[in-house]
Amino acid sequence: MAATRALPPAPPVQRPRVLVVGSAFASAAAVMVFVALIGVYLSQRADTLLAGEAWLPQGLDIPLQQPTTMLFTLAMSVVTMQWAVSAVSNDDRINSYIALGTTLLFGVATVVMTTYLWSLMGADVSADPQAVLIYAITGGHVVMLVVAMAFVALMAFRALAGGFSARQHDGVTAAAIFWYAMVAVYALIWISIYVTK
Amino acid sequence: MALTDTRPDTGTAEAAAPTGEVGFPADLIGSGDHKVIGLVYVALALVLGVAGWVVTALYGIHRIGDGDFLSDAAATNLASAGRLGLLLIVAAPLTLGLATYLVPLQVGANTVAFPRAAAASLWTWLLSAALFIVAHALDGGLGGGRPEAVDMTLLAIAGMVLALVIGSVCVITTAVALRTPGMALDRVPFFTWASVITGSIWVLTLPVLVANVALIYVDHRYGGPTEFGIEGGQWAQVSWLVGQPQVYAFAIPVLGIVADVVTTLCGVRQANRGVVLGLIGAFGVLGIGAWAQPYFYPEAQDQALFAGMAGLILLVTLAYLGGLAATVRSGRPSATSPLGLAAVAGLLLLLATVAGLLYVITPLELRETGVYADGLFALVVASVVAGGSAGIMYWAPKMTGRTPSDAYGKLNVLVLLVGGALAGLPLIVLGFATRFDSLADAADALWGIAVAGDIVLALGVVLTIVALFSTTRGASVGPDAWGSGQTLEWACPSPPPAGNFGELAVVRSAEPLLDAAEPAEEA
Repeated sequence: MAATRALPPAPPVQRPRVLVVGSAFASAAAVMVFVALIGVYLSQRADTLLAGEAWLPQGLDIPLQQPTTMLFTLAMSVVTMQWAVSAVSNDDRINSYIALGTTLLFGVATVVMTTYLWSLMGADVSADPQAVLIYAITGGHVVMLVVAMAFVALMAFRALAGGFSARQHDGVTAAAIFWYAMVAVYALIWISIYVTK
Repeated sequence: MALTDTRPDTGTAEAAAPTGEVGFPADLIGSGDHKVIGLVYVALALVLGVAGWVVTALYGIHRIGDGDFLSDAAATNLASAGRLGLLLIVAAPLTLGLATYLVPLQVGANTVAFPRAAAASLWTWLLSAALFIVAHALDGGLGGGRPEAVDMTLLAIAGMVLALVIGSVCVITTAVALRTPGMALDRVPFFTWASVITGSIWVLTLPVLVANVALIYVDHRYGGPTEFGIEGGQWAQVSWLVGQPQVYAFAIPVLGIVADVVTTLCGVRQANRGVVLGLIGAFGVLGIGAWAQPYFYPEAQDQALFAGMAGLILLVTLAYLGGLAATVRSGRPSATSPLGLAAVAGLLLLLATVAGLLYVITPLELRETGVYADGLFALVVASVVAGGSAGIMYWAPKMTGRTPSDAYGKLNVLVLLVGGALAGLPLIVLGFATRFDSLADAADALWGIAVAGDIVLALGVVLTIVALFSTTRGASVGPDAWGSGQTLEWACPSPPPAGNFGELAVVRSAEPLLDAAEPAEEA
């Protein structure tokens, strides 16, 4: 057995951006769920159209007004989220509270609009595989949105408790990364399901 | 320990009780110590590994003769439980547990990133695994006859994947963001590098399984079912996980374990280290199989990409093993069980990749039945078990502070080699039965040999557990148990105290302990 070797001491360890890195990986995992679901949707749609059949069954109507409203709502939430990151990195607490609160408000609005859209579509999950796909994808996105809102709310409470500063604001940045990923997923859904149908 | 906690003052043995002494049950359940979490992951994966191989053996017995050993429902459940279980309950948590324990030590970190998330990963996985087993016992395997139990299985699979992804994020974040000063990413130990590659591939591909499961669940529970949730289609939608090339994604950590074992126990630096790191990375990329889903993309296995990946992964494996063989030749290999087990793991993986290349050759018609794929799957999982056992024997002195019995380890070399070969190769041979009628006549004998292999593998897992327990009677060891340690885990006490390290070294190469030793040798 060898003795412990004497190694020269290292300089003090700088605090790395652990939460930001972890959030990026977690966001990538969440995005992959939707990439897979949308891939199945588009593949099934292409196969059906290739067979000369209509993709959406009779009675399933997907309006564009509500999805587009949600797209703009979430686009605005990206602005407010970045506003929050910018404010907290400048130690501007009032603006960071307002920005985080507004972002959450946009999130709630999107959840409400999604449920309204479901009531409009008239998709019968017990009869059509298309409805299964649409509910799985849009329902999954609502789950991701709620998780993102919980993340933002947690960071907002931490900010209210004075937990962040210009030097250390990784929590808000990490929440922003997950939020942006959620909005990017919605953009994919908007194009693939609501526009392309 | 929360993310925002400061680094513990010291890593000396006096600073805290050795973490190998776990109080029960509060200290165990409430622990955020990566060493406790990793050990529990490994221990549970081993125990469940015995059950996994026994279940696989039972299914094999059913395939012998007229297939009347089990009812159809039971056979369906065992087929689903055996294959998914061996991956999600045995292979993945075994390697993730080792990574959770060792990656922080190898990169000089005082903790794993997000320790509470790592603990949540462990307990979520355990609860989901229990749910998975209970659901299968209630006729809830994929394609099973009891709808509520099938829904439980689907939730259990999603839970296990979620847990594994969370655990992977903790491990790769540790390697990416918590490395000690001077340790660039190309200087991390092989196992850490392999864990980064594994975690990245899992983060990108396992969520695809969640998507599959979500579709099946929504359709099965709320739908007619119309298409995704129908009985016959459930297994087909998730079968890509246990097939080529995705199954290789579970063997990536083996490459890291084998390389660390070989370089340390041969006492030399790995030549062309960057190339070996690149080969491990290439193996990971070639193990991305979420795109090849025959259920949605029937032509996937006829594509040039599918065939090309199978060919390339064989070349990568050969080059990797060639690089390690050169290290063995240039070094002073010791006749120890970790080295033997590493050789078994490498050999089984090589056999699997050779079989994988044959699998993509369309004229051989090996994709006509699932038997050949079952054999390939068994070889890969046996390789992971052998690699995991090599890692356990190699790092057991670090984990426990005492040496395990090398006799058990050496016996295990033989057992896992024989078991892996018997479990996989007969089914590979049987896969050719579509072209050679005489092989079809020998089906019962070949299935019988495969069953024997499964049982021998279960015995091998038991031997690994026994070897781990044998450390209680082993001799105490210092920080560098092998006397030739190259990487940072061998610089901290055995077992590592809370906080792992005290004063950290500035790392100037991939083998910091050799750097520290060389000036003394020259003097």
